[in-house]
Formats: sequence, C-alpha cells, structure tokens
Amino acid sequence: MSDIFPKWTNKLPRAIIVGAVLVGGAVTAGVTYYFTPKYTRVGYQPIQPVAFSHAIHVDQVGLDCRYCHTAVEKSWYSNVPASSTCMNCHNQILKDDPKLEVVRDSFNTGKSIPWVQIHKTPDYVYFNHSVHVNRGVSCVECHGQINKMDEVYHAKPLSMAFCLECHRNPELRLRPTDKITDLNWKWDEDPKKNAEMQKANGTKFVHDWNVRTSQSCSACHR
Amino acid sequence: MKTIPPPCPEPDTGPKYWRSLDQLADKPEFRQWLEREFPEGASEFTDAVSRRYFVKIMSASFLLAGLGATGCRRPVENIMPFAKQPENYIHGVPQKYATAMPIRGTAIPLVVESNDGRPTKIEGNALHPDSNGGTDHFAQASVLNLYDPDRSMRFAKQGGVTAKREEALDFLSSVAQQAAGNGGAGLCFLSERTNSPSRDRVQKLIAAKYPQAKWFVYEPVDFDIAREAATVAFGKPVTPYFKFDEAEIILSLDSDFLALEENAYLNIRRFAKTRRLAKAGDKMSRLYVVEGLFTLTGANADNRLRVATSQVQGIAAHIALAIVKDSSLQAPLQAMADAVKLTAAQQSWVAECAKDLAHSGAKAVVVAGYRQPLEAHLIAHAINSALGAVGTTVALQDYDRPANGTLAELAEQLNAGSVDTLVILGGNPVYNAPADLNWTVAQGKAKTVIRLGYYEDETTASKTAPTLWHLPQAHYLESWGDARTADGTVAPVQPLIQPLFGGLTELEVLARLGGLEKTNPHDIVRETFRGLAGDDENKWRKFLHDGFLAGSAAKAGGASLSFSAVAARLGAAKTANAPTSNSLEVVFYRSHAMDDGRYANNGWLQETPDPITKLVWDNAVLMSPATADALGVGKFKAEARNNEASAGLFENQIVEVSIGARKVEGPVWIQPGMADNVVGISLGYGRKVDWRIARGQHKEGTGFDGYRLRTAAAPYIAAGAKVTGTSATRALASTQEHGAMEGRPIIREANLAQFEKNPQFAVALNTHEPPAPLNQPIYKNPFDEFKKRGVHQWGMVIDLNTCVGCSACVLACQSENNIPIAGKDQVRRGREMSWIRLDRYFSGNVNDPQAAFQVMLCQHCEAAPCENVCPVNATAHNEEGLNVMAYNRCVGTRYCSNNCPYKVRRFNYLDFNRRPLDSLKGPVYSMPILNSVDGEWELARWWKNPDRGLKPDEEWDLLALVKNPDVTVRMRGVMEKCSFCLQRIEQAKIAQKVKAGPSGDVQVPEGVIKTACQQACPAGAITFGNLNDANSEVSKAKQNPRNYTVLDYLATKPRTTYLARVRNPNPNIKDSYETMPGTTDEYVKKNHVKGDPFATHHGSDHGAPAAAGKGGHH
Repeated sequence: MSDIFPKWTNKLPRAIIVGAVLVGGAVTAGVTYYFTPKYTRVGYQPIQPVAFSHAIHVDQVGLDCRYCHTAVEKSWYSNVPASSTCMNCHNQILKDDPKLEVVRDSFNTGKSIPWVQIHKTPDYVYFNHSVHVNRGVSCVECHGQINKMDEVYHAKPLSMAFCLECHRNPELRLRPTDKITDLNWKWDEDPKKNAEMQKANGTKFVHDWNVRTSQSCSACHR
Repeated sequence: MKTIPPPCPEPDTGPKYWRSLDQLADKPEFRQWLEREFPEGASEFTDAVSRRYFVKIMSASFLLAGLGATGCRRPVENIMPFAKQPENYIHGVPQKYATAMPIRGTAIPLVVESNDGRPTKIEGNALHPDSNGGTDHFAQASVLNLYDPDRSMRFAKQGGVTAKREEALDFLSSVAQQAAGNGGAGLCFLSERTNSPSRDRVQKLIAAKYPQAKWFVYEPVDFDIAREAATVAFGKPVTPYFKFDEAEIILSLDSDFLALEENAYLNIRRFAKTRRLAKAGDKMSRLYVVEGLFTLTGANADNRLRVATSQVQGIAAHIALAIVKDSSLQAPLQAMADAVKLTAAQQSWVAECAKDLAHSGAKAVVVAGYRQPLEAHLIAHAINSALGAVGTTVALQDYDRPANGTLAELAEQLNAGSVDTLVILGGNPVYNAPADLNWTVAQGKAKTVIRLGYYEDETTASKTAPTLWHLPQAHYLESWGDARTADGTVAPVQPLIQPLFGGLTELEVLARLGGLEKTNPHDIVRETFRGLAGDDENKWRKFLHDGFLAGSAAKAGGASLSFSAVAARLGAAKTANAPTSNSLEVVFYRSHAMDDGRYANNGWLQETPDPITKLVWDNAVLMSPATADALGVGKFKAEARNNEASAGLFENQIVEVSIGARKVEGPVWIQPGMADNVVGISLGYGRKVDWRIARGQHKEGTGFDGYRLRTAAAPYIAAGAKVTGTSATRALASTQEHGAMEGRPIIREANLAQFEKNPQFAVALNTHEPPAPLNQPIYKNPFDEFKKRGVHQWGMVIDLNTCVGCSACVLACQSENNIPIAGKDQVRRGREMSWIRLDRYFSGNVNDPQAAFQVMLCQHCEAAPCENVCPVNATAHNEEGLNVMAYNRCVGTRYCSNNCPYKVRRFNYLDFNRRPLDSLKGPVYSMPILNSVDGEWELARWWKNPDRGLKPDEEWDLLALVKNPDVTVRMRGVMEKCSFCLQRIEQAKIAQKVKAGPSGDVQVPEGVIKTACQQACPAGAITFGNLNDANSEVSKAKQNPRNYTVLDYLATKPRTTYLARVRNPNPNIKDSYETMPGTTDEYVKKNHVKGDPFATHHGSDHGAPAAAGKGGHH
C-alpha cells in the first residue's frame, strides 16, 4: 500500500503554522501602520480654493492667529474667517490680484468660499478649542507649525492616542498663556535645556492652574 | 500645476467619485501612470486629490471599483464660512432668546435655545416674576411641532390646489375691500381663545371699522368657565388666580389643577412649596380631592373621595352647607345637596373635610375643575368667600377682554345663511366641534371660508364650502406676537427663526383682513407696546431681552361675593341622578398627551405615557374594575393592579359606547380608582387624517375620536350612556404592565404622624429588605482612589413628596438628549427609549387605591453593576462619579442592561433615527436592507449613501434640525441611558476653565449646572449638584432625614437618592389609609413585620439612621 500522503507532507503543519504566523503578523503590522491616522491623515494636503499662505500672513506679515480665527477662545469651534475678514486688508493690498478673485467674488455675491476641511475629529468626539487655548495649550501642539506652511497640511495624527498622550502628561505641553499663538516660542533654544524647563514649569502650571486632564471617556464623548 | 475649483462645486458623494475615476482611466496620464514603476505625482492629475490619497484609493479601486466602498475613505467636507461676518455671532455657541408660548387664555414665559439658527430646546423663563423656570410637558414638546414634516407648507385654494402667496394675500385684500364697503356684514371670525394685547387691540380696531362683523371663539377644552363663574360670582369681570402656596387645606372639586387645568405648571410650583419637609415639625398642606376620574391631582390627594363626576357639585353643596352661613344660599344649596345621597362613610368624609376647611379659614382654598358646570364653580367661590380666602389664597385679577360669541351661535348663523365669509383662525372645528352641531354641513353654508391652520387637517379637507382658502400658520417660534401670562404680565412672543414655510400669524391675517395700515406683526406688537409702556426704545429692548414687561401684572382688586347672583344661578341648577350600570356617565377629558388633539402629530407626546394609565399612542374607554365586572367587559388582574396582559402584551376588548344614536368604539382599559359607572374618554385621538404620526381609526391609527359623542349642551359629562362589549380586540401599548410594588420598599411612604415620630423612617425600612450577600466587598472599590482626581462629585436627589408626576422632565430629557421615537409597536415590545421612566404604583384597595410616582433614571451607582459586565469597557466611570457611556465603543451585547438592577438602560434595537416617521405606526418594521423604496433596493441605496436611511429627503432634513448638536445621535445596536446631562456638565466646566485661564479656580459654582429634567421641573423636585461642596443644595438635600437609596441592600451606592414621600391624610377620615399608606401596609404584610415598621432597629446589618446620607459619598 502506497503512502496516501507523501513524506513532505509531514512538514506541512509546521509550514502552515509558520506561514499563518507570518501572514498574521504582516496583516497586524500592516493594519497597525496603514490603518491609523498616523498614516492615513498625516500629510493630507488638499488643494484649497484660494492659495492662502499662512507662512506669508503669519511669519512675514505678523498676524496673530486670532485675527482671523476669532472664535477660538470662545467656542469649541475655531472658525475659518469670513471673506469680509480677508477684505479688511485686501481692499487695499493686492486689491486687483487675480489670485484673490474668488475672495472678492465671495464678498460681493455673499456666497461662501468652500474651503476644504483638513483637521477633523469624528462626529462622536467633542473637541473644544476654547478650553485648550485658554489653559496653556498652544495651537502648535495639534496643528504643527502652521506659520511655516505655504499650504496647510495635516501635521499631527489627531488620533485618540495622540490626545491621550497629552492628557496623560500635560506638563510636557503646557506653556504660559500669553505664548499660545506664538508658534515659534520655546523655553530655550537648546533642546535639552528646553525640555528641562518645560518639565519644571509644566509641572508648576499643572499644580497652580489645578489642571486635571480627564482621561475618562466623558471628556470627549457624550 | 494646481487648479482652483469653482466656488461651489457639487459635493463629492460616493458614486460621483468613482465615476470620475472611470473617466480618469481613459486619460493618457493614467495609462502613463500604469506603465511607470513609480508614479510621478498626483499633481499631474486634474482631480483635487493628493497623490498619497490617490494611490491609496486606486489600489482599493481595482478591487472595489463599482461597488462603491465609500466607507473606506473619509469624505471630503467643505468649510463654508460666512461671506460677511454677522455681528455677535460665534459659531458653536448657542444663543438664547426670551419668548412665550401662548396657549388658550394664558401663556408660558420661555427662554429658547437656538443652535446655529435652529430652535432646539425650550426652557421656562426663570427671570419672569411668576416662574421658576419650569414648564409643562406640552411646552417642552412644542419645539418638535416646528419641524413637523406634515405641517402646512403651502397656500391652497379650493380643492387643495396650491396657490401663490401673493394670490392669497390679494384675496385677503379683496375681502377687506368688500368688508370696508358693507361694514363687515356677513363676515364672521372664529378663533381660538387667546390672551394677547395686540390681538385684542387689532380686534377692537377691526370691530370699529366693520361694525357688522361678528366674532366667535371656540375651544374644545375650555378653561374660561373659571373666569365666567368668577365674573358671575363677583359681579365684575375677574379671573381667579389661586395661590396654592399660601394654602394649608386645599379642596379640589374635580379640578385637575396639578396636571391638565390651565396654568397647571404654576399650580405645581405653588403646591410643591407646601410639601417640602426638611425636618419633623415642618408644615405641610393637606389636599382633598372629590372626583370621578382618577386624575393626577387625585393621585396626589391626601384624602380622595371617589364619586361620579356629575355628583361632585352635590358633594360641594354638602360641604358648602356646613360652611356658608348666608341665608339666601341655604335653600338652593340644600336642593343641590339633596340630589346626592351620601353613604355613612361619605357623610363623615364631607363633615371632616368641611371641619378642616372651616378650621383653616382664610388659609384654605376650594377649586372647581373645567369639567364641572358653572354651579360647582359658584359653590367653590361661595365657600372661599365664607372662609375669608378671597384675598389670601384666591386673588381676583381684573380682566378686560372683547366679548365673543360661541360656536353654537355661529352654527346657528351659518345655518340661517347669514354668513358670507367665515374666517377660521387656528382651531380645527370640523374635527372637534360638538357632534350635534353638525359642523361640517354648517361650515359649508358659508360662501367663502378662509382658514389659517398649522396643518391641512379635517377643517381644510372639508370641501363643502364653495370657496375655501387655506393659509399656513406660523409656529409661535416663528411669530411676532405678545401674550399675557397667568399673572397678567405681558410677555413678548418673538421669533427665533423665519417662518420655515412662509406661514402667517393670526395677527397678520387679521390685519390684512381688516385692511389695517400696518400688517407686519412686528410693527403691530411694537405699536401695542408703545401703548402699554410708552415710546422708549430701551424699554422695548429690555422687554425683548427679559421676556416680560415688569410691573404689567394684572391688578388684583378687591371684590365681594354677590350672594344674590350666586343664589339665582344655584336655584336654577340642574341636578343629575347618580349613574348606574344601565345608564352610565361618560366623562370627556383633555388628553395628557394630545391636549385637545392639537399635538396629535407630535411623536414625543404620543410616546409619553399617560401618568395614570401608562398608555401610549392610544386612548381607551376607562372604567373602574367594579363597572367592568358589572358590564362583563375587559379583564383585570387584581394582584397586579393592572389590566390583564399576556406575555406582557395588552390585547384589550373593544367596546361600543353609545349615547342615544351616537356611538364610538374603543378598547376598554380598567382603571382602579375611578368612580363606579363612570366611563372616561380622553379627547384628541382618532384624527381623520393620514399623517406620519396621527392617523385615523384604523388598525395602525392612534386611538378613537371621543368628539363624536359630545354635544354642545353636555361637553364634559354626558349621562345615559350604554357600553356593550364586542368580540374585537385592540393591541394597546402600556409602559408599565404591573401596577403594584408587591411589598418592596421602592417608594417609601409614611403618614405625617409617622414622619413626626421618626423622621428617618425611610432608612428604617432598609432592615426589612432582603439581606445583602456581603456587606463589604472583597476587593477595594477602585473608584475610591479614582474619584480623588475629580474636582466635583455629582449627585442628585429627587423629592417624591413634591413630584406630582407631570412628565415635564420626561419631555425635557427627550428634547435635550436627542431621544428617538420608537413607535407603538416597539413600545409594545418593551423597546421604548425614554431615559426617564415615571413609575406609577397602586397600593391598597383595588377599587379605591392610592397611587405613588417615582422618577426612575440612571442612578449613577458608584459600584455600578453594569460596568463590570461590559466586555468592551464602553460603560465606565469618570472621576466625577458619572457612569458614562461611550457609544462609539458599544457593541451591543446588552449585558449591562441585563445586570442593571434599576432597569434604566435603553437599547437601540433599530435605527430609530433613520426610519421614516410613518413606519412608527407598526405593526411590522420592515427590514432595512431587504426593502425597496421607489423601486430602489435598500441595499443598493445603502451602498450609495449609508447615512441617509429610509427617510424621505425632506423629512430627514426637517427632523435633523431639532437635534441637540452637543449630544451624539445614537445608531442601531448601541446602549444608552441617562448621562446626568453630561453635555451641560462639560460645557459648564469648560466655561469655568475658560474663565479661570491661568488660575486654579476651576470648580463650577453652585447653581450653574441644571440638568434638563431639573430645569423643566415646575415643582423643583429634582436637585442636582456637587457633593464635594458641603453647602450645595444637593449636599443639603442628602442630609434630609427622608433621604434613602432604592434597593439599598445591593450596595451599589447610587449617586441618585430619593426623599421619601409623606402623606398628610385627615386622621379622622376612616378610609383604611389613615394609619399608614397603602404601600407601607402592603410592605408590612408581605414582610410579616411585627410592631412599628418605621421603628429604627439597632444593631442591624444596614444603616442606622446616622447613615441617612447614603448618597454615595462615604
């Protein structure tokens, strides 16, 4: 009677197990890397209807974030400015520039400019801008160095893990409340010294301001 | 190379997106990309998609192209800022406006929250001199009517043909011109009862212009009888205003003043003030109720006398005889009293009640209800006068209103053919006019009918008039107007939104018909205000800001009873024989949910259980167990104190109720506590329309129409009725299939004497609960450490002594927390979604039981049993003691609900928010996937747009507008429950932190946070706040000796505790409750308690009285 299974089949179970582990590991690793906001969101840079450069307006002209994003200290929502805000200056400066055609049109017709949303939390997340910027969390912590961007892109993952990182260790992020919109600001130019000062001052802020960052679901989900 | 897309491109929805890829595939760039090893860059493509994104999508597209796997990518969303920034508008910060809800002869002062221009939540105006911020449940639900997809959205002429707005307005001008020519001859106005200074002024202006025009008012449920009676009794036009907070002894003559009378929410507030007991020795009022139905007021009575509704006036006469000494009244009172034969027990009841009233004197008050004839009201006034209560507990407000005719008079005129143009402003007479007026025919005799209506309802559908114009009416949240609140204070009705469908207000229609110079309602109101308060612009602004005109309350002038007028009217009183089982008495009453039918299409109210029957989506033929036995109809389970249910489902026999030739059919519901041989029918159901919620009398319809039995002569009490059983049954949905507590101390009650003896009686009852398996948990509760991180610790106390069971909290919660409507069929399956359950228990004698109410909501246990069993940690504690739900984490195992001892969790069995409203009617909810709508299979539709659901587009948009943006709208398969209004807590905390800035002052001050239920509660029965603050109201309430924990023996340490109920019956009235309340009696018998159940047992397992504050923080 000949063998139903040839000899090499003895190795098959081992091969299957090893194969399954490898494939499973690859899938897990793949999902962990590719399916998280770190990969899917960071770097997202849609083309906006108006080629607005934060770098020019903030770094060169020196506008404060709150000149345009007026509601950031009062509302959960940091507003994109109305066309009328742009026209405050651009009715004098570059008033015939073709690049601003869309803005002028919008201002004249009353139709909104359809900016493409970049930073977005899911609908079941209730992020609030005002409570962060009033309590020592700078714009730069979540949005990156917007002041250096010609065109805004998604700089940080804004995932739940990202939020928790800071909610677990707020002392590593808190800064004096008058430096919130100064995106270049550091305690010190020397990174090592900066980190030390951040830790020392942050801990003091946490204590003095009675910062008790919530890590409960209810902090963001309602 | 970049391109700038046009300013308003169409949104990139799923199918379009994939189509654009297909188009791309033909482009040379695409082929080039395919041939290359690495793509050069997405910027080559003309699509506004980044390279990274494009590559990712392309790889998926080869697998899924055409299937539309849009769920794999985040859709591109646009931010659409204003072109020109409006002043004082911050996106994301809700705005609040003061306004008022006019309702019949009164108005409720309100503050309405608007989110991005959508009115979403209604609250009472606490600034108003006659308000604590509470409202009734109708006001809470009225915001849903604004977004009703069935409301009138167009102007229509004869035959329902859509007309242009201009056309309709031109027609109104032509009527005005004609009337100006002939002085208004043949012009009749029929309106609802209103109490608006502007409305009165406009009517006077028009009446002066058209002296021949006639004015009529009709309300199917009319509270004007109180004014009418007071005017007769005191010989001048006055409105009685009852100050129950000043009263020690209250006698209600069939008056449901705590629920369904006019201004009930005010009465509740005032009544509650006399029921707050902080310690032994505190004073408490005593409420006597004489009634035929079992009303909410009766359920709150300390002593209740159950007699047929028609006999109430006779009982009143008996009581009056003992108190009123004026000789002219003796004879007529004696005659009325003689018509009612009293049993010995009733005699003693009446005598003791009269003695109590007389003893209390000016601190007593007697009120009669709207169902009672004028004579009962006159007797009440006579007693009040004799007691000296007029001026203390009864205030008489001067009152000056134009006189109007009645509906019966108008019908006469119509039948005589003397009406050319009939203007019907609001109301719905074809549906709710008395049956004997034959209104449909009468209305058809007018040459032209102009109808201003919120719905295209029965009155509009009636096609008998030669010319019929329908004008859409604006919701009060869309209208300019004004109104007088209960105390006579003028309040503005200001719009929060432009009329959604171009509706008109009553003021504007009247002004146009009157050919007045100003037709804009804002200008009319402004001018009225000028007349009231002068030309000062600042006063007007303050008026709009505050929501009332200070100092405009009606003057309470003195008046003395005109005995001769009262005697004359009483002498002519009609008396009725007591009903028998062959000649029953039908009592029609205002529905707790539908009012008179005006809220029939309001799903929130349809699904609010009637506080006594606990029925939803239906009315029923109510009768007492003895009557049902005598008639041989219905089934009743005495032990459960409820109607017989099979497997929790009620299938009730349909009976025919006939009075003469008129008859209606409806399911019988046996209601313990009703007077024998009385049949109760609530009005407002059985609409002859085919809307999404309100439906006619077919299987899926909502209730039956009681108006078909009503006559103009006997609008509330009809004698000589017969009830015969049929073989048919009707499925009813009730949210409580068991009326008894079975002796468990869930609601704890004592009589006042027992409370005085042992104020901590409620805690004493812990000892008789089943023994706790372990008094100390084996493991340390991790929460004890965790809670140290919290700045606040939230807790709630609910006072069962002031709660009357009005349901305002239930509706407030529904509105605040985006709670969906489940539908009758789903409620029958126990799938109602309301986060607050208002439990109603009966105890004692089945024929004459006591009722008690308990608001049951998530107790926020510190040692929450639900949390331990959640496999995905979707329900967990936060550091401030809230038991929170993360909906996005919930996978729907329902273990938590299974493990909850209080049964307060609700599960979204279906996608309630995405169903079309008309599928709520049941009986079968079609499977969402296997259904075809308009020839398109549901599955295909779902692939294209998973967000849309089965709803028709317009309905979807409208209903989305009522949602609170701060609360997640839950989907199918998700558990939900009371969150202590987490969104309000978080908002208050954030506001405080913003205010604190770089400082440590982050504790939210007392009084800033009010949960929606607490805010709406007119009684102030709910206290919520920070337990860490020893001075907070809630901390003080937890120190109240009556404080106890429901199911204490489970050691779940709830944050919500209750203050036990204390009844104050007259010890001299022997009605078997004089020694102890029915629930306690049941408890004693069930647990075989020997001796005093309220005595404190020392050395027991459970809390000694010192542990009264078992609120959770110890």
